[in-house]
Amino acid sequence: MDGLLDEFGSGDAQARAESWRYSRQALRALEQQEFKGADGKATVPRELIERFDWPQTRGHRLVFVNGVLDAALSDASTSGAILETAADGAHTLRFAGKGAMHLVFANVATATPARWNAAVHVRVDSGKAFLVEQHVGTQGADVLGALASQFTIADGANLQTATLGDLPGSASLVRRVEATIGAGSAFGATHALCGGRFQRFDIDAQLAGARAQIAARGVFALRGREHVDVHLDVRHAARDTASDVLWRGVADGRARGILHGAIAVAPGADGADARLQTKNLLLSPHAEIDAQPVLEIYADEVKASHGATVGQLDERALFYLRSRGVPLAAARNLLIAGFCREAFARIEATDLRGPFEALLDAHLPQQQQASE
Amino acid sequence: MTMLKIENLHVRVAGKEILKGLSLEVKSGEVHAIMGPNGAGKSTLGYVLAGRDGYEATQGRIEYDGRNLLDLEPEARAAAGMFLAFQYPVEIPGVNNTYFLKAALNAQRKARGESELDSMQFLKLVREKLAVLHLKEDLLNRAVNAGFSGGEKKRNEIFQMALLEPKLAILDETDSGLDIDALKMVADGVNAMRAPDRAFLVITHYQRLLDYIVPDFVHVLADGRIVESGDASLALRLEEHGYAWIAQRKLAGAA
Ligand SMILES: Nc1ncnc2c1ncn2[C@@H]1O[C@H](COP(=O)(O)OP(=O)(O)OP(=O)(O)O)[C@@H](O)[C@H]1O
Ligand SMILES: [Mg+2]
Repeated sequence: MDGLLDEFGSGDAQARAESWRYSRQALRALEQQEFKGADGKATVPRELIERFDWPQTRGHRLVFVNGVLDAALSDASTSGAILETAADGAHTLRFAGKGAMHLVFANVATATPARWNAAVHVRVDSGKAFLVEQHVGTQGADVLGALASQFTIADGANLQTATLGDLPGSASLVRRVEATIGAGSAFGATHALCGGRFQRFDIDAQLAGARAQIAARGVFALRGREHVDVHLDVRHAARDTASDVLWRGVADGRARGILHGAIAVAPGADGADARLQTKNLLLSPHAEIDAQPVLEIYADEVKASHGATVGQLDERALFYLRSRGVPLAAARNLLIAGFCREAFARIEATDLRGPFEALLDAHLPQQQQASE
Repeated sequence: MTMLKIENLHVRVAGKEILKGLSLEVKSGEVHAIMGPNGAGKSTLGYVLAGRDGYEATQGRIEYDGRNLLDLEPEARAAAGMFLAFQYPVEIPGVNNTYFLKAALNAQRKARGESELDSMQFLKLVREKLAVLHLKEDLLNRAVNAGFSGGEKKRNEIFQMALLEPKLAILDETDSGLDIDALKMVADGVNAMRAPDRAFLVITHYQRLLDYIVPDFVHVLADGRIVESGDASLALRLEEHGYAWIAQRKLAGAA
């Protein structure tokens, strides 16, 4: 009876139950539906293509339609990456030197509820790679996608990812990243998660080599009955490693957001620097956000800090803006957008801030202007 | 012409009466200084005039520019020319200063039926006003007041005032925390804006500011009321004798 939990969960039964406790209902509801295998050859409508056909990523874009690589929509000729596909359908992207790739996962609804699975392994052997991962879809019959990724960042290499989860209300996505970060290497991941019926994001990162670094940042901005469950697990397994987790959550309506951030410093990982901060904003009395920072330290000379807050819009800030003439609705929107924007302040590829902000602007719970 | 007329104003904050029958009249072109001990209700008066939630007028009335001020939302008051320079300006991380100021100015202009300024016109105006206050342009590209020093926050308030060109400006201890040079810049900024159709309420603890911004009237606010009013010389006498002197004079007068 625990079909989906067994499939998507990791660890033993207890760990799975614990990790999914806020999303069991959502999983059960999905279990009660009959899903067929999704059509990987579904036609992608023009409007959907326009959402990801960014001029600046032409020539380094791979498009997956319901989990299946679509050769006609993809062109990776200038990406600097080598793509290999194994017999079981898993893809490996290998970067050496400078490279960039825009991975698009298009959820195209067909006549009946459908699901897909995909696996992508990204290896950065040297140099610096930029990866944009974009999840989009069409509204219609339910689609349940599952994406399993492995990021292997070799010693001295650098991977920067930007994930845009921009799903219609009929799409659910379960995405799991396992990242291994080598000595002196860096992994930066920025997320904006919006929309969807249910989204579950796991990042399981190992700071495996000395001086390895991770910066994981992001935002979820939820409304209606949206439900997003984010788990960031970082393990410091070597000396002088650094982690910086920063998350912002906004929930309106009856939305539900979960941010579980856990940082563990293993024995021997001396000199680690671990930072975990999450701030959350509730815009409705029926919305709920659970923010759980967990810090476990078994090493010496560790610098660690963590903080989690869940609150409402700052009344003083709202009054300050209004006292300067900004109308109430606009003042609220300014504050909400500003609150989220802090998570993007350090995106390295500045040309990505545009898409991030546009996505948020489209999804932020808009406060309607009072009619006059 | 009377711009602001406060009559027998009683204000309650968090269930406690803070203003207890305050009356004050301000005419266009005048500068009024308000002094008074800590906790007397000076900032409360500023907040009530600007329209902060939770500051409930239980008695009395405020007429501003011929209208019942208490009927107006804070943004409508701003559009009608009311401006409060906060004693403690609020830090708003993530909200860009320039963006905020343009939104504020254009919202006010729109509410008054004036045309909105485009980016070029706005920047030109901003540069003019920055020069007066010797503020660095990079402050504008930062988040509103976030990480500003105490003095920078106060100067930013006056910069906003210069940009928004209000009719009635309330300065709540804008001089506190300013170094001598900044104090002069702020005073210059205010003096440059003195005009027959504009009035100022200057809340301060220090006579020093009033050497630079010479008021037409000085009032003492104590325990929620104006207990003494006079000309600029009143501030000098207060500096010399302290507030106890007023209380004693009142007692003597009553006897
Ligand atoms: N939200 C509140 N809850 C309870 N008491 C309040 C609140 N706001 C103000 N007060 C009280 O109202 C009184 C007047 O405060 P106000 O800030 O107006 O004084 P002030 O004259 O500006 O003092 P200062 O010179 O120190 O700035 C004080 O006793 C203060 O503690
Ligand atoms: Mg005060």
